[in-house]
Formats: sequence, C-alpha cells, structure tokens
Amino acid sequence: MKTQLTNIKSNIIGELKKIAGKSNVLTEYEDRYCYAYDATAIGEDLYLPDAVILPENKHQISEILKIANENKIPVITRGAGTNLVGGCIPLKGGIILHTSKMNRIINIDKTNLQCTVEPGVSVEKLQQEVEKQGLFYPPDPASLKVSTIGGSIAQSSGGPRGFKYGTTKDYVLGLEAVLADGSIIKTGGKTVKNVTGYNLNQLLTGSEGTLGVITLATLRLIPKPEERQVLLACFESIDEAAKAVTEIISAKITPSTLDIMDKNTMQTIEKFHQTGLPTDMDAVLVLEVDGFKESVPVQAGRIMDICRASGAKNIRISRSRQEADEIWFARRSAFGAVARLNPNVLTEDAVVPLDKIPDMVREIRRITDKYSLTVCIMGHIGDGNIHPNFSLDLRDKDQAKRFEQAAEEIFNAAIFFGGTLSGEHGIGYSKSAFINKALGPKNIELMKAIKNTFDPNGILNPDKIFARN
Amino acid sequence: MKKLEDYSEDIYKCTKCGFCQAACPVFQETGLETAVSRGKFTLLHGILSGKVDFSEKIAKYLDMCLGCKACYDFCPSGISAEEIITAARAENNKINGINFLKKFIIWCFKSNIRLKALKTALTVYKKTGLIHLTGKIAGILGRWGNLIKIFNLQLNQNIEYTKLSAVKEKKEMKVVYFPGCIGNYVNISAKNAVIMVLEKNGVEVYIPDNFSCCGISSRSAGDFDTFKKLAEKNISLIPDDIDYLLTDCASCGSAWEFYPDLFEGELKNKAFRLYEKAVNINKFLETIDVYIPENVELKQVVTYHDPCHLARFQHVSEEPRSLLRKIPGLVYREMHGADKCCGAAGTFCVVKPGISQAISASKAKNILDTDADLVSTSCSACKIGISQGLAGMNAEKQILSPVELLAKLYILEENIDFAKNELKRN
Ligand SMILES: Cc1cc2nc3c(=O)[nH]c(=O)nc-3n(C[C@H](O)[C@H](O)[C@H](O)COP(=O)(O)OP(=O)(O)OC[C@H]3O[C@@H](n4cnc5c(N)ncnc54)[C@H](O)[C@@H]3O)c2cc1C
Ligand code: SF4
Ligand code: SF4
Repeated sequence: MKTQLTNIKSNIIGELKKIAGKSNVLTEYEDRYCYAYDATAIGEDLYLPDAVILPENKHQISEILKIANENKIPVITRGAGTNLVGGCIPLKGGIILHTSKMNRIINIDKTNLQCTVEPGVSVEKLQQEVEKQGLFYPPDPASLKVSTIGGSIAQSSGGPRGFKYGTTKDYVLGLEAVLADGSIIKTGGKTVKNVTGYNLNQLLTGSEGTLGVITLATLRLIPKPEERQVLLACFESIDEAAKAVTEIISAKITPSTLDIMDKNTMQTIEKFHQTGLPTDMDAVLVLEVDGFKESVPVQAGRIMDICRASGAKNIRISRSRQEADEIWFARRSAFGAVARLNPNVLTEDAVVPLDKIPDMVREIRRITDKYSLTVCIMGHIGDGNIHPNFSLDLRDKDQAKRFEQAAEEIFNAAIFFGGTLSGEHGIGYSKSAFINKALGPKNIELMKAIKNTFDPNGILNPDKIFARN
Repeated sequence: MKKLEDYSEDIYKCTKCGFCQAACPVFQETGLETAVSRGKFTLLHGILSGKVDFSEKIAKYLDMCLGCKACYDFCPSGISAEEIITAARAENNKINGINFLKKFIIWCFKSNIRLKALKTALTVYKKTGLIHLTGKIAGILGRWGNLIKIFNLQLNQNIEYTKLSAVKEKKEMKVVYFPGCIGNYVNISAKNAVIMVLEKNGVEVYIPDNFSCCGISSRSAGDFDTFKKLAEKNISLIPDDIDYLLTDCASCGSAWEFYPDLFEGELKNKAFRLYEKAVNINKFLETIDVYIPENVELKQVVTYHDPCHLARFQHVSEEPRSLLRKIPGLVYREMHGADKCCGAAGTFCVVKPGISQAISASKAKNILDTDADLVSTSCSACKIGISQGLAGMNAEKQILSPVELLAKLYILEENIDFAKNELKRN
C-alpha cells in the first residue's frame, strides 16, 4: 500500500467536517496527492497536505483557523495554484484551504469606481464583468484566465500593463482577512486615499499567504480606455530595442505595454505556431498604446518614429481588433511554446533598473551558455522585469543541478545591477534561500517580527519567504 | 490502441500551469483539483511512477471527465486529457472492472435488437396515445415530469419521411449515410430529415442494413473490446468505393476518427480510407450549395449549441450556423458559451448525475438567456443533455438539428406548391 495516512487526529478532522461540511473536507490519499503541488516545477519531491478544505465563507475559515492555531497545524491557502514559486506547496503538511468555492463577485460600484469580490474569483472573470459596465481592472498576469484575485493579491501580481497602470498592489482599496487566531480584520476601506495609521492593506498585499487569509477584497477600477493599438517592432540587437524603450519613455509617451521577446523565444514560438514573428531578429518589442480614440494613432505614430530612429528594421501595427489579437496571440504563446520544447519550464523573474536591461540579458545568456541550458528570454522591459524561461527536463539530475547554479548566478547578477529577485512572482519557497542576499539583516528581522505578531505559532504558510533554517 | 503507459511522456509534459481550470466544466461545478486535467495527470503520473496505487478511488476520479476536450485548446503543452483519460479508464477496467451502470448502457447500445425494441416501444407510446396520458400527469411529477414534457414535445415534432421532389439534377456520387444508433433505431426524425434534404438536392444516399451503434460511449468508458467489435461491423458494411461517408450526429462522426487506431493491416487501411471520406452533413451541404426555398419561411428565433464532438473533434462549428442563417425567417441568436459541453457526455450523465445536471443547467440558462424559441444542435446525445438542463429549469423548448429545420422548410414549401397545384387543377 502506497497510501500515507493523514497526520491530523480523527477527532479534529471530525470538527473540521462539522465546520465546513463533510463533502468539503478531503482526507483521502488520492485527494491530498492532488494538492501537493502548484505550477512550480519541483521535480519528484512530494509534500502531502494532511487535509484539503474547500471553505464556503469567512466564518468557516475563522473556525478552521482557530482549531489549526490551537493544534499548531499549518494552513496553506490556495487559489488557482498557478504561482511559480512553490507558494501553495505544503512543506510541513497541514491543511490546504482551497478557495474555489468562494467565487462570487459581490458588487460592482460604477459610481465609486470599485468592486468587491470573494478571493476565488478569477482575474479574467472580474475583468469581463467590469468591462461590461465600461470599467477596467488593469492587472493582467499571463495566467489571468485562472489565477484568482486572492492569489494575485497575495503575490501582488503584475503583467504587461504594469508599465502604465501599475500592478495588483495599486488596485487594492480594502481587504477582509482572517488571521491565524481566527480573528477577522478589515483593512483599508472604500476610499482611494487613506492614511489612517499603518497601511495594513499593503502589508497583506504580497504577503504570500503568510499573514492571513484574504476573504474579501475591494478593488479600485478605472474607466475603460476607448481604443487600443498594438505594435510589433523588430530589432537586430537587444541594445537597440532597449535604446528605443528609453527614448519612448523620455519622449513622455506611456504605452500600456512595453514587452520584449528575444530571438530564441521567437524561434520557439514559430516552431509550434505560425505567427509570422521575425526569427532572424535578435529581439522584438510588443507595445500597446491605449486611450481616447484620437490619441491612440498619435502615440502609435510617435513610437514608430522613435523605433525607426533607434534602428528598428520592421514595424507591424495592428489596424483592426483581429490584427491586435494576432500579435497578442504570438506574445501569449511564448510560455506554451517553451512548455512544448521540453517537459519542464522554470520561469525566473529578476528585475533590474531599465538602463541595465541589455547588460542583464547579456549576462543571462552568458550564464545559460556556461551551463549549457536552453533559455527563452521575454518580459516586461518597461518595468525592467525579465523572465528567462528555462526549458528543461528535471529528470536529468545533472541538468537540474546546472539549472540551480545558473539561477543563483542570475539572482546575483540582478542584485549586482541594482535590481532584485522578483518583480511579480514572489519569493515563496523556491527563492527563499536567496532572500538574505536581497534584503539587509535588519529588514529580515523586521519582517520576521511582523510575521510573528500576525502569526505567533507560525501556522500560516510556513517556510515560505524566509530562508529555512 | 495506445495504452496508458504509452502516454507517460505526454502526462509528464504537464507543466501544472493550471490553465485547464479555465475550461473544465467539471472543475467549474466541483471546484476540485482532482476533477481537472492537471489533477488527473498528477495522479496518473503517480501511478506510472509507482507512487499511487490504481485503486477504485482513482476510477472515481477518472469518471469525473466529460471527454469534452475543452481543456485541450487551453493547454499550453498540447496534451489531450480526453484521450489519456480514456486510455486510463481502459486500464482501470482491467484492474478494477467496469462500473455496473456503464456496463448496462454499453450492453443496451451494443445490440441492434435491444435498440429496435426501444424504437418499437416509442412508436407504441406515441401511437397508442400514452403520450397524451403522460403529458397530463407530467405536471405533478416535478423534474421528471418536465423531462417527459420535453420528450413528448420532441416526439410530436418528429419528421416523418416523405419523398420530396428533387430540385437539382441527380449527382453522380456514391454516398453512404451513417445515422448512428439513436438516429437509426430510436428516434429516426433526424435521419429522415437527412435523407429528405439529400434527396431534394439530388443526392442519392445508401444506408446499409444493420449498422451498429458507433460505439463512442463504450470507447469513452474504456471498453475498447466492445468499441472494436462495433467498429468492425460498421466498417465491413460500407463498400470501399464510396465518395462520401455522411454523418449528422456529432458523436457518430467522430467515431470514424478513432476507428483506424483500433485495427492493423487491411482493416486499418479501410478504416482510414473511410475516415478520410467521413464528413459532417452540415459541412457537406455547404459544399454542394444546398437549395434554400425563398417563398416560405420559419418565423422563429433559434440558437445553436456546439456539440463537443463536432466543434472540437471535427472542427465543424461555422457550417451549422451558416445553414441556420440561410433559412428564411429564422432569426439566429448566439448563446453565451455555445461550445460548452451540455453535460450529457455519454455515460457521464448516468455515472455522475449530480454534476451532469448542474452542467446541463448552466447550458439551459445560456439558452434561456437568448429568448430563442428553439434550440438547434447536431448530436443526439446533446439533445439529451439539453433536455435534462431545460427540464431542471422548468422550461420547454424544441431541440432540432439544422438539417431537421431545413427539412421542415422543404415540407412547408412542398405543401404550398401542392396547394398551388390544387388551385391550378380547379
Ligand atoms: C503560465 C503562467 C504565467 C504567469 N504569468 C504571470 C504574470 O504575467 N505575472 C505575474 O505576476 N504572475 C504570473 N504567474 C504567476 C501566478 O499566476 C500569479 O502569481 C497568480 O496571481 C497567482 O494566483 P493563484 O490564484 O494561482 O494563486 P496561488 O498560486 O493559488 O497562490 C499564490 C500564493 O497566494 C496565497 N494565497 C492564495 N489565495 C490566498 C488568499 N485568499 N489569501 C491569502 N493568501 C492566498 C497562496 O498561499 C500562495 O502563497 C504566471 C503563472 C503561470 C503558470
Ligand atoms: S475533457 Fe472536458 S471534462 Fe475532461 S478534463 Fe478536459 S475540460 Fe474537463
Ligand atoms: S493546461 Fe495542460 S499543462 Fe497546464 S496544467 Fe492543464 S494539463 Fe497541465
């Protein structure tokens, strides 16, 4: 028998079932086996939770946490499980709280430009609903079809639109969360301005499930831009592309997206989909401009001029919604194409100051050559946020080892160039070993003190963010 | 036929990105990780790498898939859950045996005699007036009553075969039509419509006697032995020199795609040749420039449901819509999520009735939101799913295939012509 029994005592399981309902508490080996992972490639390591609970409301969560806290049982909240840093992996077993049943949009307030939603709503669902009302929720992680509002707040996710519109953290007005001891708190409020005391809202945002369980979020919305247009500018060198980006920014144009894909990425995409990307070029910029109808062609025209002056060999511009979708399709296929190359994909998320992008790209290429790895480099160049996507097979132990070494050198390079470990994916478990390098000891001490205040027994998502000792 | 272990590399290729959650109707209803492809691949990988036993619980999870293929389009790694889960079910049948309910259904469909008995029963039901009786008591039976009402509505709307006068010259092509078991034996309305529409357009069709069920439900249950037997019989009944093999039921159409995998040698070659000749009727009508009468119209609002086996397996989704749009008077209204599974999915509706009904209910809601008078779809199984959904919502709507609607239009036209002739005669 390969099954392994839950470590939670049966009387506690009984209590949990009373709280959440029998069918919402799963303890069978096979069920738990399906909650031992998230989107992070961790090879054959297996960390089984002891129970999986699908709560239906905050009161259930509160009661569950009281029991967990009393019995020092770890609790790991899980949205869509798409994070790339092992954030949902139950390193010490315990309870997985899967928010899939808390997926209601409570209201969309057109007058006050905000909405209130439960944590399990997917980002795309929210975007679709608010867009029906002429409003706009800009944060757009590439996983938005499935990633949840709760998860994206916990990771403070970003996306291509981050350059102009900021990331999730810029849209969180108010939160309701359950703390480790079961108490329910409300942070922030319904106003855009708020300087009443410490900003607990922002503390919970990006806290990766280590400070509390988010049960409700009030999010800021903005009016939906009237029009948008996408450009694809092709360059023979990354330096030229980077130069174009700095020029665009100094010309005071703010595209909603400023993304880049390198040659390897384009070649990989073209291998699986024929999207017409220029595979002989070193880099392309994917730019989107939006705004009032009249302003969009003006912005696009100026960007074209700047790109040409910076050495762009060819520029494609969308003339219709369909053409825009085609260019976006190419950009969005990048991850999938890398995924088809080899069984595993590991996406890094370093961020550096804008002027260091060409250096950083060169350094990533040098490091991956040194370790004979395949890498496709893409990312949000406007934010200095680069995602080298490594395509590998983790069953090859030697390759896995080489990847680890390369990843560490890439982190070092990012820090050397004045950047940091993560722009939008977070630290979780996969980068926790490097956090001491990125932050000073005093910062770590403060953060640990905060963690301790919120969660003295350390039950909420243990062994994440901070280096394991 | 590929076995589970032949898929081990595909299964391992799942990067666990989780995108399949966006597409999977079963996940949307249950919220369970075990219900979505990512969870199933994890379990299957566990089985193949010796970390999980192939227990009966696994069989339970394997049942939680409609085989709708919706996740396939979402999967960045291009892995087909439908295919792999089918193979896994076959493996499970060997280890844990096949579920009793599935066995029973497959047993019913396996035999033409049993299917014919069903047809006789239905005819008796209609002819003896029992239909009126059930119609009367339906009101007090709740959801079951609603199902009866829809069922009766369906039977009352059935198209009886009448020879229509051809408006086009006889086409020199050899066409075999494969009506599938429901069409052939249970409710022959859709079959009648296909024959009438083809005859009207100068296409003579040949339907060999004794076609069996296409076997798609045995395939999805992982019962490849039955599937193979039925396939062999169907293949053997079709002459080798045909130009087209027409199907209207979506499931029956996609069965032909799977047949070649079942055999070796000459039979495989023949199966493959037939697969290449197989074409859905909606698509076929497009190629022959189908006749549309202009002097009559069907004044109704219609919405169309994409059968999974038509839209995603055979990539036919525009053609039925365009046929509906051509019908004079008929107003076409697209529903939200038209290509989302109806919830019936072969034996799924019997094995997982609760989830099945919930999925059908969301389909019905989308239908009702369009305010359409009738629903069109090109699959006999989907008609069941849609009926189940509508019944749950206490709603009644006719469900007809695009070809049935066209046949109705033809009938209407001939009646008018007939009237004109009468006038002349006077
Ligand atoms: C293909 C792919 C592309 C991606 N692209 C991007 C991108 O462009 N930008 C980006 O920023 N990220 C990206 N990601 C990473 C990931 O999708 C985001 O971090 C996402 O927002 C996580 O949402 P989730 O619902 O999946 O959260 P999960 O993965 O379920 O959880 C993430 C973390 O949040 C915690 N958490 C979840 N819900 C709650 C809650 N209610 N309360 C408290 N804590 C909670 C969990 O414990 C965990 O630590 C990508 C991932 C994939 C697989
Ligand atoms: S085939 Fe359909 S039901 Fe099965 S896993 Fe994919 S989306 Fe879900
Ligand atoms: S979409 Fe495909 S690769 Fe991603 S988790 Fe689902 S099955 Fe795996």
